[in-house]
Amino acid sequence: MSAGREFLKGFWSENPIFRLVLGLCPTLAVTTTAENGFGMGIASTFVLVCSNTVISLIRNFIPKKIRIPAFIVTIATFVTIVDLVMNGYFHALHKSLGLFIPLIVVNCIILGRAEAFASKNSVLLSVIDGFGMGLGFTFSLIVIGAIRELLGNGTVFDVQVFGDSYYPLLLMVLPPGAFIVLGILLGLMNRAEIRLAERAGRSPLIRKEHDCSNCTIHRNWFAGGDEERPVRAAAED
Amino acid sequence: MKEIFRLCFVLTVISAVSAGVLAFVNQKTKEPIENSFREEKMKAVRAVLPEFDNEPDKDTVTLELENQAPLTLYIGRKGGSIVGAAFPVTAPDGYSGDIEIMVGVDTAGVVRGVEILRHLETPGLGAKIVEAGFREQFENMDLEDKWAVEKDGGGIKQITGATISSRAVTHAIARGLELFRDRKDEILGYVEDPESGAGKTGEGSQ
Repeated sequence: MSAGREFLKGFWSENPIFRLVLGLCPTLAVTTTAENGFGMGIASTFVLVCSNTVISLIRNFIPKKIRIPAFIVTIATFVTIVDLVMNGYFHALHKSLGLFIPLIVVNCIILGRAEAFASKNSVLLSVIDGFGMGLGFTFSLIVIGAIRELLGNGTVFDVQVFGDSYYPLLLMVLPPGAFIVLGILLGLMNRAEIRLAERAGRSPLIRKEHDCSNCTIHRNWFAGGDEERPVRAAAED
Repeated sequence: MKEIFRLCFVLTVISAVSAGVLAFVNQKTKEPIENSFREEKMKAVRAVLPEFDNEPDKDTVTLELENQAPLTLYIGRKGGSIVGAAFPVTAPDGYSGDIEIMVGVDTAGVVRGVEILRHLETPGLGAKIVEAGFREQFENMDLEDKWAVEKDGGGIKQITGATISSRAVTHAIARGLELFRDRKDEILGYVEDPESGAGKTGEGSQ
């Protein structure tokens, strides 16, 4: 596998938010503005790269039975470093992200990469994997944050985009806005992936559990049966 | 049995290294964090006090309150005499959670500035209490004025859709002013300015 692919997979084919649908707690909670999304993403990327590096370095010394506690201790160490440094040097950002910085410890993307990638691959590949996944996560958070900030406050990165006459759609910066934006983006991305896959003549990278034709609601209300249906059929509905 | 010792050993080594790294980082960031917190507080104090030339966060008076935690007031001085005081008040009756407010008054008990330190009000609605347009209404008000929002027959323009937050802030500042009036002697009288000596204290209140 090439290094370039390891890096790019975080943005599309294995995007943590839209493809793997992992780490949704910080995603939904902090994306009220593009800046918060950026801060959270960069903090997570730092932790991800550092923990991937260290875990890859010591992967042969960690007995299998205690690998999870060993990973968690490593991750928690880097999260605490981020927490302290951010508090000292980026105080305002630290204040607006609040509790979600310490909660990076339990972000399943980070433990997931440690378990699925860093504990099995070389240091170099693990660093690239960490950067790719982290920046893919950051990018996704910025997109969600920018859309919510734009519609909910008329600004992006604190820069006024809509004029004074724009009446902000408050719902977007409130919790329901996070679900709405995430859902629409996920749907659009699946649609784009189906198109791309069709053109390339391969099967789409959508996981079965994230495909609408496998959703209980869809099955019971629209399809009226439990039979497996191909992804394409769902897209045409 | 032997394996357990090995597992313990590995995990202990990892944890010990972590602890060492964290101790180092903690020591390095301790001062910047303290400075950030101080700067945050000072920014609010600077914004609400009349012009001063001392260090208000080192020139404080602490009042013992009944059934409450003691209150610290930051004293602003110019040329050694007191020009005003800044102190935090809390509004427990906001829409969600406590609203912490820094109030600055001059020696006559007239509001010179208001800053919102911390709040959990709804973004886009109650959160607008931090905007200058709302806060500046309180400037130059004293206890002679009617401390109520327009909806309750007062002169403070409440934020549309956030009357509860507006009312909570208004009442909290009024309570602060009452406290300042009731304890004025303690606040302005017995302060010792470390720079210009005790002799000049209290002059500003005349």
